[in-house]
Amino acid sequence: MAPTDYTYPSVYFAYLFFFLSFCLAVYFFIRSRRDGYWGDKGEDAKYQMFEEDETPRRNP
Amino acid sequence: MQAQFSKAEGGVVPAGSLVHDDATAKWFLVSSVTYFFIVGIIAVIIAAKFVWPDLMGTMSWLTYGRLRPLHVNGMLFGWLLAADMGLAYYIIPRLCGVKLWSEKLGVATAALWNVIILGAVVTLLAGQNQGWEYAELPWYLDILVVVAWIMFGLNILMTVASRKHQAMYVTIWYTMGCVLWTAFVYLTGNFATLFTTGTNQANLNWMYVHNAVGLIFTPIGLGVAYYFIPRASNTPLYSHKLSMVGFWSLAFVYVWTGAHHMIHGPISQWLQTIAIAFSLMLLIPVWAVVYNLFATMKGQWHQLRESVPLKFLMSGIVFYLLTCFQGPMHSLRTVNAIVSKTDWIPGHAHMAVLGCFSFLAIAGTYFTVPKLWGKPLFSESLANWSYWMLMIGGLGFFTTLWLGGFWQGWQWNNWSIPFIDTVIALKPIWIVRFVSGILMFVGIVMFAYNILATVMGANEEAAA
Repeated sequence: MAPTDYTYPSVYFAYLFFFLSFCLAVYFFIRSRRDGYWGDKGEDAKYQMFEEDETPRRNP
Repeated sequence: MQAQFSKAEGGVVPAGSLVHDDATAKWFLVSSVTYFFIVGIIAVIIAAKFVWPDLMGTMSWLTYGRLRPLHVNGMLFGWLLAADMGLAYYIIPRLCGVKLWSEKLGVATAALWNVIILGAVVTLLAGQNQGWEYAELPWYLDILVVVAWIMFGLNILMTVASRKHQAMYVTIWYTMGCVLWTAFVYLTGNFATLFTTGTNQANLNWMYVHNAVGLIFTPIGLGVAYYFIPRASNTPLYSHKLSMVGFWSLAFVYVWTGAHHMIHGPISQWLQTIAIAFSLMLLIPVWAVVYNLFATMKGQWHQLRESVPLKFLMSGIVFYLLTCFQGPMHSLRTVNAIVSKTDWIPGHAHMAVLGCFSFLAIAGTYFTVPKLWGKPLFSESLANWSYWMLMIGGLGFFTTLWLGGFWQGWQWNNWSIPFIDTVIALKPIWIVRFVSGILMFVGIVMFAYNILATVMGANEEAAA
């Protein structure tokens, strides 16, 4: 390998980014379960924009 | 409950309402619409150069090699990403029920973004080009992009952190995903590639190119669609849980697909196979999104007759479905052997970036600008015309390039045909491409004029 070839370090650098984003994705996914996105109240979030924004909701 | 308004709607705001300043959203939207028009001129010129290659002679800064990267970067970062960022600055505070964390930081971000785009115009026309697809900008502009993205991400994440409700609507998830994913996709594509050589460099670049669409424009574009389709149709989303399935499957699947740009190339077969397998799995998030938004519109389709934003939104979703059906199909080795590197690819890319994500951003702009400036849209009729010009021109452009690309691919697979003959044979295709481009440009002019006339208050002047 030529002394100026940084192929492997840079690929590992990219892997590090993938790994970090994978960890964050796992963390947020677990947290989304804990916060109730998949439970009985999982549909509540979609009504917020109608309750608080300037246009009244048509179909409750 | 607390009603929310834009500052410009001051005269009709009930007491106790949350009033948004929206200065950042305004700056981003006005500048992005202006760039859409300016870069549209470049688009028409390079389409014309396919038909008349000697057009504009030998002036180096007007050659195809300099104008094409300006068109690509201008449309991607000057128009589309800036428009999506402007819409995010509008949407996120409203969904969180709080003001934007820092309008000053937001306006500074808009100013820096404009410096970057103007810098890109100068450097790309001057021939300073790193030579990588979508990563043509010189390194010093890349660093400014990173700084601007940190400013944008900080503002969005801090706004989300101070939100009133624990549960976040899917648009917030997608926007946060875009903030996070753009960071590593952009850094990988623009900096990690500096230290690689050969096949690994090409592989990293294609990872960046594909995920620029898949992990930058897709999440923020879908976030825009998930907000504006329920808002414009005044109908709640069909299923928030299904939207979460779409989000998490996108997060899992998309990043692995970039290597399908190198099928039949010098990369490992196992890497090609992984890219193909994950490309096919893209059908899961795509169908979750499309089914959800179509089910939301059940019984509401008649609203498309009257609402220009809805026309753009639902057409954008149809184009999203078509784009994401095409993508997995042409990642298959047999199909790829015909369409790869042909005119099929720009047909596909334009359907994604223009037909899908630009349509969604145009819809959001048409929806928000009258609210942001507290004025009615300059002309509903002109908005309707802009839709049909972009739709007819876009369809002509996409279908012509698909057919031409397939034809080109068949010719390339026949080694008895000299390459120059395959170039000459495509001239009729490029004439239709140019005419379709003119129609699209007319649509862009109508859209930009309508928005800027609304902002300047032309309606009020006419009434007076």
